[in-house]
Parts: sequence; structure tokens; C-alpha cells
Amino acid sequence: MRRVNWLGLAFLSPALVMVALFFLLPVVLTGFFAFTNMSTATGVTGGEYLLNTATLRSLADDGLPKDMLEKLASGGYRVDAEGLAALAAATTAATAAEMDRLHGGAEFAERRDMERALKDLRDNAIRKTRERKAAADLFKRSILNERFADEAQFAAALAETGIAPTHAAEITAGAYTGWAWTTENVSLLFALPSTLRYAANTALYVTLTLAFSVGFGLFLAITTFYLPKGQATTFRAIWFLPRILPPVLYVMMWRWFTWDTGFLATFSGYFGMSPKNWMLDTSYHAWTAVVLINGFVGSSMGMIIFSSAIRAIPTSMLLASEVDGASRWQQVRWIILPQLSWPILFITCYQTLSLLTSFEYILLATDGGPGRSTEVWSLAAYHTALNNYGGNLEYGLGAAFALVLVVMGLLASLLYFRLFNFKRLITTPLIEG
Amino acid sequence: MSAPSSYRNWPILLVLSLVSLPLMIMCLYSVIDAFTDTGPGTLLPARVTLEHFRFLWEPVAEGRGSIWTATANTFIFAATSALVVTMVSLTAGYALSRLNFPARGFFLAGLIVLHAFPTITLIIAIFLILQMLGLYDTLIGVIVVKTALELPLGIWIMKGFYDTVPWEIEMAGVQDGASRAAVWWHLVLPQVQPGLMALILFSFLSGWSEYILPQVLAPGSEAQVLSTYLNSLILDDTKADFNLFKAVGLFYAAPVVVIYLFFQKHLMNIYGGGTKG
Repeated sequence: MRRVNWLGLAFLSPALVMVALFFLLPVVLTGFFAFTNMSTATGVTGGEYLLNTATLRSLADDGLPKDMLEKLASGGYRVDAEGLAALAAATTAATAAEMDRLHGGAEFAERRDMERALKDLRDNAIRKTRERKAAADLFKRSILNERFADEAQFAAALAETGIAPTHAAEITAGAYTGWAWTTENVSLLFALPSTLRYAANTALYVTLTLAFSVGFGLFLAITTFYLPKGQATTFRAIWFLPRILPPVLYVMMWRWFTWDTGFLATFSGYFGMSPKNWMLDTSYHAWTAVVLINGFVGSSMGMIIFSSAIRAIPTSMLLASEVDGASRWQQVRWIILPQLSWPILFITCYQTLSLLTSFEYILLATDGGPGRSTEVWSLAAYHTALNNYGGNLEYGLGAAFALVLVVMGLLASLLYFRLFNFKRLITTPLIEG
Repeated sequence: MSAPSSYRNWPILLVLSLVSLPLMIMCLYSVIDAFTDTGPGTLLPARVTLEHFRFLWEPVAEGRGSIWTATANTFIFAATSALVVTMVSLTAGYALSRLNFPARGFFLAGLIVLHAFPTITLIIAIFLILQMLGLYDTLIGVIVVKTALELPLGIWIMKGFYDTVPWEIEMAGVQDGASRAAVWWHLVLPQVQPGLMALILFSFLSGWSEYILPQVLAPGSEAQVLSTYLNSLILDDTKADFNLFKAVGLFYAAPVVVIYLFFQKHLMNIYGGGTKG
């Protein structure tokens, strides 16, 4: 009979809360954000309603009838009760009464006409230009460039302009400055030619870096295995550095090494070559740098895991092969490598996933350059949503980029469960068993 | 074991030295250049100077914060997140390793799936969440996020350490009538102390090196940490003063190297096997 231990849940709860808040919630929210048009322009909270010339232009593109656009754009003046009351307060009641008698209910399209009507009042003509302009404003019934906090206010103002209700909804949607739900991001991802470029870059980056990491990691593990202890420790320590040094510092060393005043340029200068930036000169240089920078870090990890796997090989096997006259190459090929197949598979899986989503070293080294030649998928997400030169950060589109990575991460971990025998991990605890 | 000795060593040594040359040059010159001046077009330093360390007592440039603020921030950031990660992992790891509770398999699987989401897939959403919570551009916000993101790995590592503790210890404790909580506290915790140490150091180093989170979530000068400090120096300068960068870099890397030298054995537990799937 197995007992359930509630202590387990209690022990787990602090972790559950934190992970849910800043791990699960972001995953879910990434899914939501991917279907919005959030950007710096729309803000992340609500928005307001505003018609300006830019909105009118996009409404025109959407096929709003021309006369309606003109009506919205020209504004217009109407002598109504509200305006008259304001006029009475600003000037005198007699002025307002005369205005009502002469022009009550009249509409003027142009400011000039409105002002002339005020000027031409017989008994109470407003003569001072400044006063007349102020008075004309009281009758202004345009909603252009006016901000409204919520939809009801905007709808009321829109109705006042005399716009046909059939198009009100369209105009309201166009005037909204906040974010809205949309599926445009996804279609944009498929439509943009740059997306394909980023995908290709990512595939290239993952393949090359992975090959380098595994290959060079194996090389380091096997060569240091054959060295005496002191030398082996030294070399392992050196090759451990890329893994433990802070990325900013590690990439700074690379910058110095490859910069046009740095080591490579100075060194080749001794042989009469003109200095150049070895990291950013052409896209081939940039790719080499990106693969090496990431590959060194990857092989650092590979070296450690392969080394401990090699150490687990029984010495007797190696000695026996030596007695039988095996060359070093044969020993590596037929004894060591077969023992490493499992660690190699592990490193391959682990690093494929982390390379797919990592961009820190690329950001620090080439920042996707020169041009966009080393811009990988995750870096594109970062640039789109969090840091670009245009200044308008498109959170929604960036989240759509990230969502693709989330989905790939999920699929990959499902695959890994099958590969690495998940059942083995959940052997039941013995005490309750 | 030591390797079979009938093979010659020097070809390996030669090849290994050659491929290690770039890395050795980079590291060596980081130290050399921080303490010397070198004329243009040559690799040989001209004179020894401490001038590149002037950032220690005066701001590097107009309007740039003091390095000590950044250092204090980095320390608070790394230490707090390391402590919280370790404490939370200590209980959660034990639960996952030893206790039988509802949906245990689900939580274990979830842990591995979470492990598959590095920071970046989430950072856009986190950025927006922090803005809505009003924690954007504060050190607290970055600490909380870093801690949460580091947790799955921390729990996983801690679970690994608990897995190596022999069951007999707990069996004996339970047999003698102690509760599971008491057994955990008095009998099991002392057994995983090396792992505890390793996890604290590992998460501290991880926080100390972190760049992307502070860069995105707290770009202001108030919450600046050493990584963003150094990188803004590198990006800002039109004429790259690598001697200064390297001096700052040495200052930045010193704790990392010291911790590594002293606690190599502990750390190897994690770097070498902790990520084992």
C-alpha cells in the first residue's frame, strides 16, 4: 500500500509559486502577445481615441468614402445650443441671442465663413480678431486631433460630426491608439522574406556550432586523456575558461583579438598586411567569429562531460588493446568512441536546444552584422521587440517570433523524453513504496 | 586512471598547444594590457602603468556612474538570487527526489520541459509583465526574474544530489520514529552539504555573469550591474580603449576566478554532471 505524502507538496510550493509567476505565465503570455499588435506606439496598457491626419490616411487606404473623409478632415462649425450657451458666457447674452436669430442651426464648412458670421452681427459684432477667433472655436464641431479617453466619448463626438453610423465602427477602430487583437503577426512571419533568412541563418548557426562543439570537445577530451596529469589539468583549466568567464568579458577578449587595432591586425601588420576588422570585415569573417566564440563555450562543456565518460572506461580494456598492438588511432576509434555514443547524443540534444534559443554571444560580438548576415531567429525576436534602431519596438511581432521558439522547445522536450527514457527518472520513492 | 604510457606525448602536446594559442593569447594579454601601455602597431608593451585602473577612484567619463555602485548592485543581485534559488531548491529537490505526493511525475516532467526554455523565449513577456507590475528598471525586478529562471536548473541539480544519498539513512530515521521533515533536516541535509555549497556558488557565478536580463529589464543607471557597465563602456567608446576595458574586465572577473580556483572541486559536480539529463 503506497502512502501519499503531503509534505512533498508543501516542500514544493515555494518553487511552484515562483516558477508559475515568472516561467509559466510568460510562456502563456507570449502566446497571447503574439496575437496582438502591441508596440511602443500602442503602449502595453489601454489606449485612447484620436483621429489625426495619419489615421485619416490609413482610413482612406481602407476604402472609407471620400466625402466622409472630407467631412472628418475639414471639421466644420455648427451653431447649436451648446455653442450658443458658451458664447453667452464668453461675451453677452444679447450676442448669443442675435447669433441664434440670424444663424441658429447653420453649418459652416470653413473657419473663414464662421468668423465672418460673427463679424457681421448687426448689433453685437465682435470686432477684435482675437476675440472673434476664440468665439469661432466655441462652435467648432470637428473631432480631428482631439483626444478621447474612452469609446463612449469618442462615439458621441463622432455622432455630432454627422457621420453616417454605418461607418462609425470602422472609424472608431481606426482611431484607437491602444493595442488590439490581430493575427497579422503570424501572416507577417510567413510573408516577410527576412524571416526565411533568419531561419536559414539559425539552421547554419546551430549546425556549424554544434559540429564544432562536439568535434572539438571530443578532441580536447581525448587528447588531454593521453597527457600526463599535470599537463592535462592545465589544458582543461584553459579550455574551461570560455565557460566560466562572464560573456561580456569573454566577447570583449574576442573583440580585442579580432579588432582592427587588435592582435590579429597588429600581428599580420608585421607581415605587411593592412589592418582590418577580422570579425566584421565580411559575412564570412562574422560567421567564423560567431561559430568559434560559441563553439569554444560549447566544446568547454563537451570536454568536461566527455572526459568524465572516458575516465569511466575500464583501464584493462585500454591496456589489453595496447598489448595487442593497437595504434592510438585504433584505440580511440574502436574503444573510446563507442563508449562515448551516449554522452555525444546527450550533448547534441542539449546544445541543439540551447543554441536554437541563445543569442547572447552573437548580440555581444556582431549584433547580427555585418548587415543582417548573422542575425539568427532569437536575435531577430530580441531586435524586433526589445532593441532596434527604428525606436518602435514591436512587442507583438517579437512575441510571435518567440512563440515559434516556445513551440520548438516543447516539441524537442517531448522528443527527448522518448530518447532519454523518462520512466527511469520517476522511480518511486522507497519509503512510501 | 593515468593514460597508457607506451605512446609518445609530444605530438599531442604540440597540437593542443597550437589550438589553445588564441585563447591563451587572449587571456594573457588581458592581464598584460591592463597594467601596461602599448604603442600602435606593436604587441610589445612600452611601460608599466596603473593608469588603466583609474576607474576605481573616479568616474570613467562624464555622467557615468561609479564602478562601486555597479559592483554593489552586482553583488546584491548575484547573492540574493543565489540564496533564494538554493533555499527553494533545497526543499523542492528533496520533494521530487524522495517524497511520494500527487502528480509527482507531472512535476518532474514539467521541470525538464521548463529546462528547455532558456531566458530568451520568455523575456519579451517578462519585460511586459514587469512594466505592468511597475518593477521595470528596478534591481528587485531583475532579481526576482533571475531567481525564477534559475530555479528549474537549481531544483534539478539539487534533486541529483539528493538522489545520491543512500536510502538506509532515512529508513533508519523513520524506523526510529522521526517524521519525514525531521529526517530531512537532521539526517539528509548534512549529507548534501557539498551539493548545497556547489549550488550556491554556481548560482552566484551565474548571477554575477548575467548580462541580458539586467540589460533588458533594468537599463537605467540606478540598477546598473558590472556586465552592463562594462558593455556600455565598450559600445560607447568611438575609439576603443581596450586597456581600460581589460582593466575593468579583470576587476569584474576577479571574483569568478577566485571562486573557481578555491572551489573547483565543488563546481565540477555541477559543470561536469549536474546538467546530466
